[in-house]
Amino acid sequence: MIDFSVYGEQTPHISGYKCLKCGMLFYPAPMVCKGCGAHRDPVTGKHWEQFDLEGPCKLLTWTRVWNLPEGFNRKFLMFGMVEFPNGLRASGRVECEGDPVIGATMDATVVEADERPGTPVKVFVFR
Amino acid sequence: MSARIGIVGIGHCRFGNSSEYDLVDVIAYSANDAFRDAGGLHLRKEVDQVLVGNMAAGMFNHQTSVASALVSRMDMEPCPAELVENGPASGASAIRLGYMAIASGMADVVLVAAGEVMRVVSGWEATNIVATMAHTEAEYNMGLTLPGFAGMFTRLYMEKYGMTERDLALVAVKDHDNGAKNIYSHVQLPVTIEAIADGENANVVNNYVAEPLRMYSTCPISDGSAAVILVNMDSPKAKLFAKKPIRIAGIASATDTHCVHNRKDPLVLDAVRLSSEKAYAMAGVGPKDISVAELHDAFVIFELLNSEEVGFFERGKSFLGVRNGETEIGGRIPINTSGGLKAKGHPVGATGVSQVVELVRQLRGEAEEGRQVKDPKYGMAVNFGGFGNNVVTTILAKD
Repeated sequence: MIDFSVYGEQTPHISGYKCLKCGMLFYPAPMVCKGCGAHRDPVTGKHWEQFDLEGPCKLLTWTRVWNLPEGFNRKFLMFGMVEFPNGLRASGRVECEGDPVIGATMDATVVEADERPGTPVKVFVFR
Repeated sequence: MSARIGIVGIGHCRFGNSSEYDLVDVIAYSANDAFRDAGGLHLRKEVDQVLVGNMAAGMFNHQTSVASALVSRMDMEPCPAELVENGPASGASAIRLGYMAIASGMADVVLVAAGEVMRVVSGWEATNIVATMAHTEAEYNMGLTLPGFAGMFTRLYMEKYGMTERDLALVAVKDHDNGAKNIYSHVQLPVTIEAIADGENANVVNNYVAEPLRMYSTCPISDGSAAVILVNMDSPKAKLFAKKPIRIAGIASATDTHCVHNRKDPLVLDAVRLSSEKAYAMAGVGPKDISVAELHDAFVIFELLNSEEVGFFERGKSFLGVRNGETEIGGRIPINTSGGLKAKGHPVGATGVSQVVELVRQLRGEAEEGRQVKDPKYGMAVNFGGFGNNVVTTILAKD
């Protein structure tokens, strides 16, 4: 029998966080809510909602980097900063043909990257 | 703040490639230089506290406890000694803590020595080490580096205010012109606007690093050190030093969000504005009183943004001031007379102290011919930690 439930667990995600006391949204995770001062226990997550941060977003700015850091065996990589419809912003990689356009709608996905030594990390890719 | 605290000794080595030397020797070189400037090496025995500014000796040099090593290398035991780490603002933070040590009454004389030896690793590794100051999960793991952020930041500024890549090159030309005359500069060569922007080979000479930032919009990776000796001007010990103190009129710091994307407006550097406002208030002066400024320009865009945040220019207008020559040596507000991080170099932990050494040289009238500002009264230094998230502003006064 095939257990399809494990497929979901293997898909990489990056989480946004919602304080259930005042409704303020965060990315990345805070330890204290900026809105109401509520504490977030990273073990229990009590009084906080965790949700996947992905999907449509607006490109705020971008760059094409030619001097990549240690571990990146590529000529260049594009990076960008985006804003999601819920107001949260994130930085990550940009993949598209040619130069991206500021203000364009992108689709945020999450992949695992292993350029650097150690455990693979979760990375935003805006397409 | 009632304490009168001044700088009575300065030391500096030439920035550049010191990778064949031990980090502690490089820092000790400037500490020795500062004591000689203050009246003699015997004055090291008058020091009540040593503070060492360094960002990443553990990663660059595989070395820790640098402050303990320096005290021993300088024959200064049993003087208390601590390391101060605040990314590329480690140097200015060490000066600020030295000021606090004297103001608290726990010390009368403080040696602040700062240094970094970065070129012992490849540029590839150095870029990675410096990038570790970004948010681990949300920035560093994405592959983002400081040049990457600066590239995004520059594009946003260009879109909003109409600045061009040629405007960035004009800042570099001015900085290299100053750096070429500074005996401590890493890069002692002037550049022309034709070579890096207008000429047909400019795209080759001045290639992209993180678009739209080019090589001449970016500081080099440098080794080097700088040191200052702080003294309580009202203490009997002040009379032991040969040089008239240059007073620290204001010194303040402020922080901002770790993640750049979490700032309300990514183009606004709140920590620069807040730290400068506090330093102005402490000194009892305003932007119009400043005669010369050293503004942290790891990337040329920072020189422009910092000059707006500290009140020298309206927001979005600083590059117009550069076009008009307002930031040159003879201009309305000379900026980065040392050559700045762009030409003088940027050994990350040393930079904040190096900026203050340059201000002391200017206020004493000791800068080289061709880059000495005429009769300066107040000097300002802005030293960035992280991508503007932990900033120290210092104002010096010639009494």
